[in-house]
Amino acid sequence: MPKSSCDDATATHPGRHQTVIEFRGVNKWFGPLHVLREVTLDVQPKEVVVVCGPSGSGKSTLIRCINGLETIKSGDLVVDGQRLGDPATDMPRLRTEIGFVFQQFNLYPHKTALQNVTLAPIHVRRTPRAEAEQAGRELLAKVGLADKVDAYPSQLSGGQQQRVAIARSLCMRPKIMLFDEPTSALDPEMISEVLDVMVAVAEEGMTMMVVTHEMGFARKVAQRVVFMDQGSIVEIGPPEEFFSDPKTDRSRAFLSKILHH
Amino acid sequence: MMIWQQLQSLVGSYPLALRGLGTTVAVSLIGLLAGSLVGFAMGMLRAGGNRPVRLVIGAWVDLIRGTPFLVQIFLIFFILPEAGIELEAFTAGVIALSNLAACFICEIVAGGIGAVPKGQVEAALASGLSRWQRMRHVVLPQAMRIILPPLVGQYVLLIKDSSVVSAIGLTDLTRVGWLVVQRVPNGLLVFGIIGLGYFIVCYPLLAIARRIERRMGAAHAEVQL
Amino acid sequence: MLGNFSFRVILESLPAFGSGLATTLWLSLIAFAGALAVGIIACALKLQPAKLLQAPAVVFIDAIRATPLLAQLYFLYFGLPRLGIVLPELVVGILALSLNSGAYVAEIIRAGILSIPRGQVEAGISSGMTFGQRMRLVILPQAFKVTIPPLLGQAIVLVKDSALLSLIAVAELTRAGQSLASDRFMPAEAFITTAACYLILYYGLKALAALSARWVGLRPARQDRPA
Repeated sequence: MPKSSCDDATATHPGRHQTVIEFRGVNKWFGPLHVLREVTLDVQPKEVVVVCGPSGSGKSTLIRCINGLETIKSGDLVVDGQRLGDPATDMPRLRTEIGFVFQQFNLYPHKTALQNVTLAPIHVRRTPRAEAEQAGRELLAKVGLADKVDAYPSQLSGGQQQRVAIARSLCMRPKIMLFDEPTSALDPEMISEVLDVMVAVAEEGMTMMVVTHEMGFARKVAQRVVFMDQGSIVEIGPPEEFFSDPKTDRSRAFLSKILHH
Repeated sequence: MMIWQQLQSLVGSYPLALRGLGTTVAVSLIGLLAGSLVGFAMGMLRAGGNRPVRLVIGAWVDLIRGTPFLVQIFLIFFILPEAGIELEAFTAGVIALSNLAACFICEIVAGGIGAVPKGQVEAALASGLSRWQRMRHVVLPQAMRIILPPLVGQYVLLIKDSSVVSAIGLTDLTRVGWLVVQRVPNGLLVFGIIGLGYFIVCYPLLAIARRIERRMGAAHAEVQL
Repeated sequence: MLGNFSFRVILESLPAFGSGLATTLWLSLIAFAGALAVGIIACALKLQPAKLLQAPAVVFIDAIRATPLLAQLYFLYFGLPRLGIVLPELVVGILALSLNSGAYVAEIIRAGILSIPRGQVEAGISSGMTFGQRMRLVILPQAFKVTIPPLLGQAIVLVKDSALLSLIAVAELTRAGQSLASDRFMPAEAFITTAACYLILYYGLKALAALSARWVGLRPARQDRPA
């Protein structure tokens, strides 16, 4: 069976820089609001990092900087060897290597699930339509939506839409997958179907950064948990350590709030 | 009876009326077509071009929206000949109407593009689509649904505005009325019929615009007072 | 090209333009007041549940919206004498403008009232308000805020429409331009000055609209800040 072109979405690329995402003293302001303060962080290939924190902590802004949806004001951010903010960096090309899953899914309402998934591969990577569609169908089957290939987003539930969104990002065979609160807009009974897909992606070796409050997911697949508060990284550590023995008052306070639902 | 004589005279003006109707249709059609093409281009530039382009287009659109169409027609008809461009009334009328159409359509198109949710643009951006690809596959298709109702409404307004070209002597439907009423001094009858002529053209378009708007799912709940 | 553009002529004609501008201003004001009156009545009729009362308003509004202002103007100008009503051109012009803008004002007001979410009405009903109280205390105050900006937009349209009155020999701004153009054979100076005067009115009204929009927006709405 021919290898689907979306299968090696998770293969490592030999000869790459060891660290795939590098923040060095990154700062960002929204007007007078200091949203990211001296953020320094490294993410290794195949690593799964969960970012959590209270509202306004800057966690969404953090990952939105990685694919250039937000720009940093000072410091250095190097992703896949490319420096963000450098005019020489080819942003569209860099973005093809980074998959982004939004809280609001942002599926194209005027296109079917399959068309959503294949739009970028066909027009950006110039994959022939037949090849892209075959890969797209396989990916949609992988996320459990083989029968919804021709459905429009308005005909899908929230959980289904988000899974299509994940398939859409995966079909570009990115090196990094970013998730911005992927389950926050979902009804509770649909959260697990999306988390299951994300776990499968992680287990295939994808480098992932996930902003979420779903601590079960963190415990299952994350190598590290990054806790942010008011723009700074307050604590970083393996999940078991972070949950059982938080080192700072702020992380303790945060954990007590979210673990008591 | 006077009224019968008048009606007879009116029937005799039938060829003139037909000519007037033809002129109105021609001016409107060309004006709307040219105006739409230019207007769409302007609108896309206004929504996504670089700053100087947006400012220049904005300034011109403001100029056209801030002055009466009658004055614009006079400017084109009387001044361009001074610059050496000879114009007949029809051409001047078409140029003026096309320009008017382009400016108003530009604003409608720019507004529609701006109304597409930012999340859509971000999703397209995040997949690495270029600006033109984003516009073509994601933004424009969604913008069209927002643009269509006000666009059709604007077409109706422009067809009615075409009546102003009668002021420079172009024999359109309104001018036919003005000419005929000199001989048949029954303003109610003559312009009642002229009005009917416009009504037959414009009312269906208005109805279509209203239907499109309703189908787009107007979010307002009908308030029962 | 326009080599002999004469600013001197413009300066000499400023009194004439000033007078025309003033005429345009106050006739627009009167016409707009008339339009508000017409619009409120037509809208009130159109919102009546009884079809019999709705009908005249619907016919009026549709007729106005589907025919050009110029045809309406000529209809009145040439038609009223036939009914024995002889009025000065200025009055006919103001009448035509009032009726024309009145139809659009009616639609603006109607859209404003209908834009109030049903939840507001239900809240009023639930507190035991009568129809009159709901209108007075809940619907109209909110509708009022919403309609100010589009009403000012219609005012701008009316000022531009007033230029058509020059075609029935009313001594307003455009007519001042026409006179200068034909008397002194200087259409460029004449109409550019005319356009400039209208632009002054336009930007003045737009500033008013912006101020009103801010005043309307300043009323504290629900401050929903995302968590």
